[in-house]
Amino acid sequence: MCGIAGIMFKNGRNDHETGVALVDMLDGCQHRGRDSTGFALYGEEHRNELKLRFLVGEGAAANESEALIKTALEAHDAEIVEDRRVGNTYQAVVKFDGDLRSFAYAMEHAAPEAKVISIGQSLDIVKDIGGAHDVDDRFHVHEFKGSHGLGHVRLATESDVRPESAHPFWATGFSDVAIVHNGQITNYWKMRRRLEQRDFEFRTDNDSELIAVYLADKMATGVPLREALKDSIEDLDGTFSFLVSTKDEIGYAKDHLAAKPMVMYENDDLIVIASEEVSLNRLFPGQALNTKEPPPGSYDTWSKST
Amino acid sequence: MVQIDLAEITVRQANELIREYGAQGEDIDIVNPDARHHIGVGLTDAVTVRVHGSAGYFCAGLSDAARFEVESNVGWGLGDNMYSGSVVVGGNASAIAGVAIRGAEIVIRGNMGSRAGQVMKAGTLLCGGNANFMAGYLMYGGRIVILGDSGERVGEDMAGGEIYVGGKVQSLGSDAKMGDSEGTEIDDIRAFLERYEISYKGGFQKIVNEGKKLHYKTSEQQMRSIPFVAFSGKSDYWNPKIQEDIHIKSQIGRYRVRGYGGARELPHLSDITFARDISDFSDISNPVSNVEMHTLIGGKHGATPLDLSMPVMIAPMSYGALSRSTKQAIGMASTLAGIAENTGEGGMSDAQRGAAKQLIFQCLGGRLGWNIHDMKRANGLEIYISQGAKPGFGGQLMAKKVTKELAEIRGIPQGIDLRSPSRHPDILGGDDLLIKVEELREATGYKLPVSVKLGAGRIRDDIKIAYKDGFDFVELDGMQGSTGAGGAEVMEYVGIPTISAIMDALDGLAEIDAAGDIQIILMGGLRDGVDAVKSLCLGASAVAFGNATIVAGGCISCMQCHVGQCVTGIATQDPEHEKRYRPEVEAHNIHRFLESVRWQIAALTQALGYDDVKSLNRDDLVALTPEAAAITRLPYRPDLRERQALVEAV
Repeated sequence: MCGIAGIMFKNGRNDHETGVALVDMLDGCQHRGRDSTGFALYGEEHRNELKLRFLVGEGAAANESEALIKTALEAHDAEIVEDRRVGNTYQAVVKFDGDLRSFAYAMEHAAPEAKVISIGQSLDIVKDIGGAHDVDDRFHVHEFKGSHGLGHVRLATESDVRPESAHPFWATGFSDVAIVHNGQITNYWKMRRRLEQRDFEFRTDNDSELIAVYLADKMATGVPLREALKDSIEDLDGTFSFLVSTKDEIGYAKDHLAAKPMVMYENDDLIVIASEEVSLNRLFPGQALNTKEPPPGSYDTWSKST
Repeated sequence: MVQIDLAEITVRQANELIREYGAQGEDIDIVNPDARHHIGVGLTDAVTVRVHGSAGYFCAGLSDAARFEVESNVGWGLGDNMYSGSVVVGGNASAIAGVAIRGAEIVIRGNMGSRAGQVMKAGTLLCGGNANFMAGYLMYGGRIVILGDSGERVGEDMAGGEIYVGGKVQSLGSDAKMGDSEGTEIDDIRAFLERYEISYKGGFQKIVNEGKKLHYKTSEQQMRSIPFVAFSGKSDYWNPKIQEDIHIKSQIGRYRVRGYGGARELPHLSDITFARDISDFSDISNPVSNVEMHTLIGGKHGATPLDLSMPVMIAPMSYGALSRSTKQAIGMASTLAGIAENTGEGGMSDAQRGAAKQLIFQCLGGRLGWNIHDMKRANGLEIYISQGAKPGFGGQLMAKKVTKELAEIRGIPQGIDLRSPSRHPDILGGDDLLIKVEELREATGYKLPVSVKLGAGRIRDDIKIAYKDGFDFVELDGMQGSTGAGGAEVMEYVGIPTISAIMDALDGLAEIDAAGDIQIILMGGLRDGVDAVKSLCLGASAVAFGNATIVAGGCISCMQCHVGQCVTGIATQDPEHEKRYRPEVEAHNIHRFLESVRWQIAALTQALGYDDVKSLNRDDLVALTPEAAAITRLPYRPDLRERQALVEAV
């Protein structure tokens, strides 16, 4: 029950106005959901460093969480390069070169009231309740420059309206993988149990988190994103249109019934994908775009270096 | 010719202008459309609208007579429900192009998305490029012409009409087969192509309905008459109901279909009573004039609300399941009682419109009888998602009832065993639903309340969507509700009880901090004013009666509504049977029943110590059974079971 959007600039540079573009596109399809809005933004890559963002809330509880997170970072030999509080989040850039999955799970448990919403060398996720402009006002998304990103507006149906249930979802335990999803995965519990048997942890009951972990798990074994997306169409049941991004790539998959809309536009400079053409048109006002609708059961990927 | 710039004004303002210019016979140019939704929705004048760019969802939807030209692409639901007129799209069309059209000409020069022509009834849908999967899904009539490839599963579950494919037929859908085309059909297509200046010299393959699905070979015979009391199965284990069930299944080899209400004993409003002892009515005098019962329903977003003399409406029941005369009688009774009637599925008859002062027009997945002209003369619009007796299923109308006249109104082939689609073509989630609601509002100038009918299933989630999608009110239907035809097992085992439904709805709203922010009309097996008052106490804003009005109007409860040979002339389309039904007489019977409901509501409200029905609240109730107490969280008072039955008291 959502609207999704994704953009990638193809020339490999990190100075594009991805923040502005995503805010515009989400504002264009805000009618598809007003409960929460979120962005996955890919900027300059910090080698040997990780950007972490925690949801900590406000006030005394937030201060307490921040202190606990700092203790946990130190305990895991993650040296804080810079950190700050923005809105209801705590953001830290750390030097870290250990095992990422155990580090990520440890960070999840660092403070009982805090939640990790993203970890990555290039990825940063901001998400909160409210519309695209509300979240932009709080997190200054429009100032963000980068190479690619995803966005999502949500109409909550089954799970709560809370910042942590907003999209995008980070693939818990894997750096730099994010997903936005419109639809419903009907074999969610079956797939989740399979992954849990292999010691994966889930932070929410949201089916979109599962897609992120499912794809990241495949990619961690060396499967290219393209292959992982192809498999996902067979492995996941339900109706879905989702976008996934990594440090270098962006991709989509759409189920066999094509019950969830998706439309894309590509030129020499960029690829943009959204639930509705009206979002794409926000980037090209007054122009009739030569758009394409992905067929049912299809997938594709784009890379920022090509 | 006039120009409208969508960079300057909203679509809502633009549509008002388009209708104004349309009425003056002015052609319209639309610039900077930028794929916005609902362009031209509800236009019913024969003018030309040129869209310079791309349009979004439901372009030209719910229009009649106008000609639309879109330079580039269009989104979902192009030309939704168009009657006459045309749309020409220069680029591609997204999913469900030509959905539910009833005679228009739709030409897409590029490709078209999935499920094109879903539930279309008449007219032509032409695609110059390739179609995506399930073109002609559930189509009832008309023709689809695809010059490129057909896409997978073309003609899936089509019931009528023809699909012509110039390119490759990739795969046939269920209940579709290759047919033979006659020369005149092809000549006609070529003339059509020429008219729209499309050059195509190749041949065509034709796809038609195979006729396997919507025709039952063996009809269900009634073995012997079993009264409702025995049918409810309270006697021995292998009771007459079970025996009849097995006998009939041994003949027909499928599930049974029957009408009337569920027969299984379930927690219901009768398991709840009033906390205060109100059996002594000696102090109650003239309650109807002492108690305020006037109720407005559906004005929260600025539409003209329904104006009810008491918190009661008629539940949606279709012309189709019921005879025209019955719908007319119910309409007359609703007017006499000062309440609102509902069309149910299957369209609005003039007799019904004339009889009912306030009439809600219901929109279902098959769009059978749904159209812009009747929308404009309705007092409310309602999107049906499901009904309490058979949640998740569409209507069922056996061949005997699908007469020529009825088939014409619904736009379907005569004599099929109609199973209406259980899903809307354009509502696959809360996000699409919102765009659909906006379409209905755009088409009728935001004047009418728009409600949603929910059959009790996952109400806790569904009510949140209803609230977030901006409906004006919810009609909530529990499993004790009746139906004209439903799978017997479905009716008894699928839904959830009416008292559970209202509790889930209230809990769901409370969870999103929206308690009291959307009106709920409760229905599903309500029998009298006592049930109505209990419902109002639980939190309903009003109630609706369906089966009770049918019984008041002469139904003998034989449960054979689906057969089509109703001896009372109620559940039939056979003129011989229908002529036994006297609408004027039955209207007064139904009206007298409604007046008894009014008196009971007033008397009970007064007995509970109030002078306004809006004061009724949960504290007035207690539960008599552990099940009802668990469901409603009301205090459990088994000691009150012996109290004098309220129905006798009032």
